[in-house]
Amino acid sequence: MNHERFDELKDAYVLGALPEEERRELEEYLAQHPERQAEVDELGAFAGLLALSPQEHEPSPELRQSIMSVVESEARSFAGSDPRFAGLRELFSLQNLALAGAALLVIGLFSWNILLQGEIRDLQGRVANLQETPQSRMVALEGTGDAPQQGHAEVMILDDDRAVLMAEDMPRAPEGRTYQIWVIEGDVPKPGGLFEPRGESVAAVVEKPLDEGDVIAVTIEPAGGSQQPTTDPLMTAKL
Amino acid sequence: MAYRKRQYALLADEELISLVGEGDAEAFALLYDRHSRAAYSLAYRMMGEKQAAEDLLQDALLKVWRGAGSYRAERGSARTWILSIVHNRGIDQLRTLASRRRTQDRVEASAPRSQPSDAFSEAWRNSQRDQVREALGTLPPEQLKILELAYFSGYTHVEISELLGVPLGTVKGRMRLGLKKIKDYFDSEGVAVPR
Repeated sequence: MNHERFDELKDAYVLGALPEEERRELEEYLAQHPERQAEVDELGAFAGLLALSPQEHEPSPELRQSIMSVVESEARSFAGSDPRFAGLRELFSLQNLALAGAALLVIGLFSWNILLQGEIRDLQGRVANLQETPQSRMVALEGTGDAPQQGHAEVMILDDDRAVLMAEDMPRAPEGRTYQIWVIEGDVPKPGGLFEPRGESVAAVVEKPLDEGDVIAVTIEPAGGSQQPTTDPLMTAKL
Repeated sequence: MAYRKRQYALLADEELISLVGEGDAEAFALLYDRHSRAAYSLAYRMMGEKQAAEDLLQDALLKVWRGAGSYRAERGSARTWILSIVHNRGIDQLRTLASRRRTQDRVEASAPRSQPSDAFSEAWRNSQRDQVREALGTLPPEQLKILELAYFSGYTHVEISELLGVPLGTVKGRMRLGLKKIKDYFDSEGVAVPR
């Protein structure tokens, strides 16, 4: 795709009106020309205003109940998935509570924030210990295409087959797309979590336990992820 | 618990999404309460009936729950992100359906239009919606129709060209002019674009 073709298709792209092939063509162009992403984002913001235009309808209370029952069930299984990651989750959670704490400072709850800071330091120490655990091993992912690999990623496998993917210097996913991790058992790819590079590095928990012989792969998928890969892997590693 | 609820109510959407990314169901519930109405209204507009709209909303919001880690605040507000997921999932569903609704659109599209669609003749609940309505009201009907067919009904530009019996280049041109006109509206009024 050249610049003229991009200009011709970008409006239909932000409206979601490109056929699959042209959409991929345009996203490949964007991946090669990230300087034009801002232009698409701006145009997309105007297209997105259409979402605010329909007549308003209220979803039923039963729908809320139904969605929340799935969410709460998954939250419970997430919380119970691995006690060692509870420290990580708690750390992140406390960091966000620290933001709320900042607001509470305004109304005078200064001591509560100090307590939080102490807990964060304690948990940061526990995270450092986790990273230094001698039972973990690192496996590098390798690019699959002919094009030069952009960024690199490694999987840290912990002693009970849990893993964390760490990526560095990877380009942002195109608008409306996300990176998705896959755990391939035999020939069957199973979703292993989503991640988005922010700044230079990013870490994401691989949401499936790993076995020897499994393959870890990373693809670009529509925002929110897919149940099956819809694009070729960018990088893979065999365990 | 009530204390934490009050704390969460102070948090911005972006902070709630960060908590959701860590598996916090309570933060998700608050996001749901803030945005489900707008998301459902979009789903209803796309799918045309209650059950399909609820199915779409459930599908999309569970993607929000499971994919919160992919949200990037620098690319737009949480509301915009949530609505974009509803929109993308809606388009996927519409394209896999040979629904009666699309046939109905085909009939509607063949009739000349001199007024904005019904969606824009309803009362608007807040000033942001008023601004968007006003911006869309500046579009000629033929441009608005093409934006609607693309955005709400999931037609590709080629399908719209066939549906309306106009050249593909005309469809692309109207899309470009329609979006530009919306942008011009906000530029000329000096109004911030709703996020």
